Amino acid sequence: MAITRINIGPVHPSTHGVARLVVDLDGDTIVNVEPHIGYLHRGVEKLVENRMYMQSPPYMEKIDYVAPMAVDELYVATVEKALNVEVSEKAAYARIILLELQRIASHLFFIGSVTNDLGQSFTGFMWGFMDRDKILKLLENATGQRMFYVNMRLGGINREFPQDFEYQTKEFLDYLEKRLKDYENFIEKNPIFIQRMKGIGVLNIDDAINLGVTGHVLRASGVKYDVRKNNTYYKYSELNFHTKILSDGDNLSRFRIRMMEIRESIRLIRDSFYKIQKADGSMIGMPVKLFSPKPTNKISIVNRELPRGEGLMYMVADDKKPYRLSIRAPTFINLAALNKIAKGHKLADLFSIFGTLDMVMADVDR
Amino acid sequence: MSIGSLLNYFYTGLNSSNLLISIIFIIIYAILISIMMSIFAYMFGWIERKIIAKAQRRHGPNRVGKWGLLQNLADLIKLITKEKIIPENADPLLLNLAPILLVGIVTFIILLVPFSSYLQATNLGLGLLIIFVILGFTPILLFIAGYASGGKFAELGAQRSVLMLISYEIPMIIVVATVGIAAGSYNLSSIMNMQSSLFNVFLMPIGFFIFFVVMLAELERPPFDLREADSELIAGWLTDISAPYYAVALMLDYTRMFMGSLLIAILFFGGWTGPWLPGIFWLIIKAVIISLFIILIRLAAVRMRIDKILKTGWMYLLPLSIVNLLLTLIIVLK
Repeated sequence: MAITRINIGPVHPSTHGVARLVVDLDGDTIVNVEPHIGYLHRGVEKLVENRMYMQSPPYMEKIDYVAPMAVDELYVATVEKALNVEVSEKAAYARIILLELQRIASHLFFIGSVTNDLGQSFTGFMWGFMDRDKILKLLENATGQRMFYVNMRLGGINREFPQDFEYQTKEFLDYLEKRLKDYENFIEKNPIFIQRMKGIGVLNIDDAINLGVTGHVLRASGVKYDVRKNNTYYKYSELNFHTKILSDGDNLSRFRIRMMEIRESIRLIRDSFYKIQKADGSMIGMPVKLFSPKPTNKISIVNRELPRGEGLMYMVADDKKPYRLSIRAPTFINLAALNKIAKGHKLADLFSIFGTLDMVMADVDR
Repeated sequence: MSIGSLLNYFYTGLNSSNLLISIIFIIIYAILISIMMSIFAYMFGWIERKIIAKAQRRHGPNRVGKWGLLQNLADLIKLITKEKIIPENADPLLLNLAPILLVGIVTFIILLVPFSSYLQATNLGLGLLIIFVILGFTPILLFIAGYASGGKFAELGAQRSVLMLISYEIPMIIVVATVGIAAGSYNLSSIMNMQSSLFNVFLMPIGFFIFFVVMLAELERPPFDLREADSELIAGWLTDISAPYYAVALMLDYTRMFMGSLLIAILFFGGWTGPWLPGIFWLIIKAVIISLFIILIRLAAVRMRIDKILKTGWMYLLPLSIVNLLLTLIIVLK
């Protein structure tokens, strides 16, 4: 049968932004997928070179608009390393709480978009977004902004938690645990959902390591790697949580890993709220000034477990501005696995595979 | 003039020995049926949006008119006034003919449905078979529309249409034949009257299950909406159909749902049989309840994949339909 070449995107209902996939089809079976990227390239790495250190966080947040705070924190941590700024114990716990909330929000977004990719008429999508919205409200209460927070300061965050924040968050976590059961019954145990997800897009352990994928994609293939554990930062070593792994490496595993990670994040937040009470120091970091301290480290490399995988920033410091900043975006690397795992499946599965790799095209293109 | 005498008048008109009078009355009847279908399609467009919104914890349409009742009308006006765009590679005649011919098919089928012993266009002995012969044209029309549009997404939708046709058509016909055997007739009226003591859904639950699944596929309702899978094929065979015809196709979704519900109600829920109320009310109430159920399925269902549908059709539905036929034969013939 003749090979049909179809061009999916850049404008298509389920390309998660502006991905363009050139797909070769034999009937309804995928022969080859070629992702074309760059439609959302903004040159963030170059922009940073012309800004003072603490002028860049607003640009950083737009790299991954689903989990803005996580990328912001990665950048600020890199600057902190270059300028040799200490983060107090209390600020570290505060950051963990905010980052884990952000991680849950991002994962709920994932759950919603995957069900939508599978063709459920927006029910899972609305549920995921509605619960995510509750987190955005919490974060608005804590940081003053709903989506793009810009709340990281050198050595801490921009303001103390409001008095009702802890109560509200804990109340939300109780609610979320109940909702997760709903998600499990409604989505994860849905027979057609399992039929559509199980055994689709299998990435075996060797390929996963060779392709350099990280985050839930790697853990779903059976590699126990989580930056929070393996290259621990802040107070993650003192908190009680597990790195969840599954061995199948298929769509269903990637989905289930995300569900488990939400539960782990809930534990982390509860634990952090308990430990932050006894922590020393101030939550508030340095005010943003045009003149920051002189950098002491010429080269600083920081990696973090972002919601979508391992993010890494390599910064060569100059007096007032970064001389060069290089960003390892997790989804850019994860996208490389798409062609490998989508071959031989039906066209309908391409979107669920693309969805479970959890692409954010802004993050891929930077 | 009371309703009863009006119906009586109508009945004598429809069954008049004078061909001209009979044709005029059939045309009037067809217009009445079209109006009813439109009202149903309009209301169900609204009801579906509201039900789905409630389940998804949204409000749904609530701005245009009371409770958003006029929202669909506003959408319709918007679509009808939009520009007609026909792609370069497309065959404009075939492309735009498909939705209109589909309207014809649906109207024709509903025309053959007897709403009560007075309100029916004709009383054919093989009414049931004729309905399914006409219904069999639907996937072929969608296939033609898909190929005529010249787009690749529409073409994929058309391919799926054919694949689905071969996977569910045979079990459907076997189940329909089984119903006919159980009733001893292919006349819709006698099929409904036969069920006055026991609905077919209790006589042949397997048959009902098969027919319901197949009808979901036939009507392109989730989880079998592969031909217009919005997250994969943008809109499948509807991708290149321009706004006014698209509006027709959207309305058609609900009229087809009404048609499917009517068929399910007639074949398995006794159609017009029921106490107290006149038959026409029972038939419509049953069809509405079935339609609501079909809408609820849309909420939870994840779209099935084409190879799984083929597998379901050939591995499960076909053997089950034969089992159903044998069981029914045993019960009916004793």
